Amino acid sequence: MSINPNNRIELDKVGQSFTSNEHEVLLFQDLSISLVQGESYAITGPSGSGKSSLLMLMSGLELPSKGQVTYLQNTHKLPLSDLRGEIGFIFQQFHLLPELDALNNVALPLKLRGQKGAEEKAKYWLTRVGLAQRLKHKPQQLSGGEQQRVAIARALVFEPKFIFADEPTGNLDTKSAKEVADILFSCCLENGAGLVMVTHSETLAARAQHILAFKNGQCELLEHEHDKGKVHYA
Amino acid sequence: MRSNNLSLAWQFYHQEKGHAYRRFPALIQLILMVFIVTLSQTSNSIQTYLNTNLNNLLGADIVISQKGRLTDAQETHLNRISERSALTQSLKTTLTYNDNWQRVTLKAVGNNYPLQGELLTSYSLGGKTIAGSSGPLSGEIWMDSRLLTVLSIQLGEQLNIGDQRFTVSRIILHEPDRLMEGHNVDMRALIHHDDLEQLNFPKDIIHSRYLFSANKKQINDMIEWQKAHLPAAQIHHKQGAHPLALFWQRTENFIGLASIILFFMAAIAIQQLNQLQMQKEQFFSAVCISFGASKSTGLQISIIKWLLNIAFLLPLVLLLSTLLHWLAIQWLSTRFDALEWHWNILHSIKPMLIAAIIFSAFHLPIWFRLKQASVRQLINNLDSKVSKSLSFTCALIVLATVSAIYSDNALLTAMVLGAIGISITLILLISWFALSLGEKSTKKFSGLIPFALYMMKQRLLSKTTQILGVGLCAFLLLFTLMLLKDLGGTMNAYQRQHDGNLLITQASETQMIDIDTWVAKNAIEIRQRKPFMYGKLTHINDMHLSDYADTPSDSLATFMRSIRLHWNDSIPENNRIVDGEWWQTNATHWQQISIEQEVMTDLGLQLGDRLTFYITEQSVEFEITASHAYKPGAGSITFWAQMPAAALDFIAAPHYHMASLELEDAQFSLLAQVWQKHPSLRMVSMDEITQRFDKTLAMVTQIISGFSILISLLASIVILSSVHALEAKEKKKNSIIMSFGLSKKTCFHLNIIEWFVTGSIAASGAIIGTWIAGLLIYESQFSMLYRPNFFWLLTTLSIILFIVTAIGIVANKNSLSSSIRELMTE
Repeated sequence: MSINPNNRIELDKVGQSFTSNEHEVLLFQDLSISLVQGESYAITGPSGSGKSSLLMLMSGLELPSKGQVTYLQNTHKLPLSDLRGEIGFIFQQFHLLPELDALNNVALPLKLRGQKGAEEKAKYWLTRVGLAQRLKHKPQQLSGGEQQRVAIARALVFEPKFIFADEPTGNLDTKSAKEVADILFSCCLENGAGLVMVTHSETLAARAQHILAFKNGQCELLEHEHDKGKVHYA
Repeated sequence: MRSNNLSLAWQFYHQEKGHAYRRFPALIQLILMVFIVTLSQTSNSIQTYLNTNLNNLLGADIVISQKGRLTDAQETHLNRISERSALTQSLKTTLTYNDNWQRVTLKAVGNNYPLQGELLTSYSLGGKTIAGSSGPLSGEIWMDSRLLTVLSIQLGEQLNIGDQRFTVSRIILHEPDRLMEGHNVDMRALIHHDDLEQLNFPKDIIHSRYLFSANKKQINDMIEWQKAHLPAAQIHHKQGAHPLALFWQRTENFIGLASIILFFMAAIAIQQLNQLQMQKEQFFSAVCISFGASKSTGLQISIIKWLLNIAFLLPLVLLLSTLLHWLAIQWLSTRFDALEWHWNILHSIKPMLIAAIIFSAFHLPIWFRLKQASVRQLINNLDSKVSKSLSFTCALIVLATVSAIYSDNALLTAMVLGAIGISITLILLISWFALSLGEKSTKKFSGLIPFALYMMKQRLLSKTTQILGVGLCAFLLLFTLMLLKDLGGTMNAYQRQHDGNLLITQASETQMIDIDTWVAKNAIEIRQRKPFMYGKLTHINDMHLSDYADTPSDSLATFMRSIRLHWNDSIPENNRIVDGEWWQTNATHWQQISIEQEVMTDLGLQLGDRLTFYITEQSVEFEITASHAYKPGAGSITFWAQMPAAALDFIAAPHYHMASLELEDAQFSLLAQVWQKHPSLRMVSMDEITQRFDKTLAMVTQIISGFSILISLLASIVILSSVHALEAKEKKKNSIIMSFGLSKKTCFHLNIIEWFVTGSIAASGAIIGTWIAGLLIYESQFSMLYRPNFFWLLTTLSIILFIVTAIGIVANKNSLSSSIRELMTE
């Protein structure tokens, strides 16, 4: 899939708050950002600062308390519901279906869409993430790093325009985390998908082109000085 | 420490009672306890009723009954033992009035009747009841009200029996010696002894009952005397068991055995929910240990919670079972006059205690695992699943216990368990085969259906249990309602074709000669004719019948009366040899007998066993040399016991005939002439047989329908339990599917597909099961082709599909409320 920088998710003066024990808790406000297909974004910050909530807003799964989230495709404004079919998720806990082997877990999104050649494509993606020898293994027979690689293949197999990842290396040791991060960034690049990830890892965040950092109740957009203005993946 | 555990258990019990993993098992236990207690109470009411009957309706302290009169010497001897006695004689005959006829039990009584109790009569329908101490005078006949209606005769009018005229003078309401009639619903008429003498009925068709007043010693003397001198006679006394007591014990045991289906389904549901409960209890136990508590703390709290759960169920069990018991008695009272609701606390406590012990076996795997709880599980997140083999063993213990409690006959237990086992195996095989085939054949395809099939195959165990629950329920309903209905219809058609529409069940030689003349005169066809004599089995291998078998069986119940003995030199066309060898023509060794296969099994007889029959006043010993079975295609008149024709030279007894005839509709009115001339001739029309069959069928259908309601309830709980047990997995699956950019609608469609497939397999399993059962029964028992009604089959299939899919979708509603956010927060 080719990168189309005109496909983007626009957040315009977005704010999110929730009510707890009759008190309104503000997570963030007045956040404006444009997520471009093909670029990478990291959301960082302490626990409970609102990272996951922001991810949910960006993916269109939740509506903001204030402001607006829009999906633009070639400058056409589309309803957020259209975004649903264009995004994939990667979770900290991998969330593979235990009943299915690696091949079928990856082929699942294609099969559910009724696409032909699902298993061939799944095989390609598993080879791509270095699991060509583990096609028939069930999740419980794979290590954490391997499971996350299967999850990456599964998220990319149906060629979404954006990938949302929630702590993709949070459950992995340093070596596995690096391997998974390498694969995640390179696969997104190869596939032309935008990558938005929530992470506590500074090392992982540093590999993203844009960093959204929650600090002292504020969310700021930081850009890598050395990479400013470039579309680049590590 | 213990009181702390108690208060903790109390607190947790209240916290957990609303959760599905507690609610469903409680519901299952409630249903099963209510069932068992209701069964026990109802059975107790019937047994109490029978005992009361024995005391109030025997009409004497001891009754000796047999075919024909006692000899003068025997009568004198008995009268020497007891000071007061009365004789009643009865026979089956047909009364005719104008063109109406009705088969009745005609009883003749003397001036000393009734011996004990009162004879209740009235002078008009619904009129004042008169309590009397004497029977009808000579020339009078008293009838029950139904008989008056059927014959369209009024009080004061006269009717003929043979050549004698009787005036209908009273309506019988109650005879104090009615007990001996048991379930007999024959219409009844009462005449004086002297008239019976005049009617000159053959002596061998008259059943005599000698009623005596006697104390305990006299009763014992009479019993001893009867065993030695009148082995073929039946004896009933107030200190003994009711003649129907064993029959009802058998009925209770049969229903109890059938409840294995309920326990089986309970085991399925509880086993699934145990996994959830296990995780929570083991987690709690491990946390307790991490605080420094002992290992037994968690176990103690779990046991106390379980006891509290049972204790809180008991009031509800008592209330519901009392209500159901009352309803059951109301229903049964249409068949048992004066059956009363009778509640006994012991008959509630005992079954509840047994049920609680049985349920504790379901819980054993959890308690066993709690013993092994450790802090390691919290650190390493170890699998805390209940061992499958342990659960399976505990379920087997439960089923074996239920079988042992209700088993009184190995054959019946094996048959009931076998039938249930076959249904379960069949449904399991169909589930496995259908899901495997579905999964394999759609493997290469994409779309929702292949995925649904694939997931179902992967979750084969839990899916199969759902299918099993639904399938068993549907099988039972279908088998009862449809198969028995078809069976009745086909049997009627078959019997009509082979046996005609009129069956003569007993005609003497003279009567048969007259029937031949009548048949020839009216161009009526006789389809079958077979001779027989009556004989009462008294001993098996020199052991008295009452000592030989003490467990109830249908064969034993029949052998308490005289049975028909048929003779021939060649194997009848509608019989085949199962074991042994048939005798040669003109066999010199005439003391050979062939016994029907089912009777052999029922009584545990073997070739070479010796049977002693009391035939008229002669004791005859036979050796079993063959065993035969019914072979369809040549008429349905067959006999349990057959002997060589050569035996006739050595046995002096009246000969009778059974025969079947085909009459035109118009010719039925000619029967009145035959019956008027031969009132003792026993004939029954196909319509009457059909009606009797329909009545039995209606009763069986009502019982099974009630039972099916219980099974349906449990099937629903099995579905709900399995849905609940899988809810977390389902939610996760739906969330993952949504994370691929698919909508909730896709998950809903998957849900529909899954339940539609579940319903289809369960319904197909039930229908195929019913079909196979039908084929087997028809083929083996009647050699007929089973032709099911396809309209009914398809309608049933659609109904099952609709209900199962609807329940499944509603039950699974929760799993659709999943979201991707839940996956993130996990």
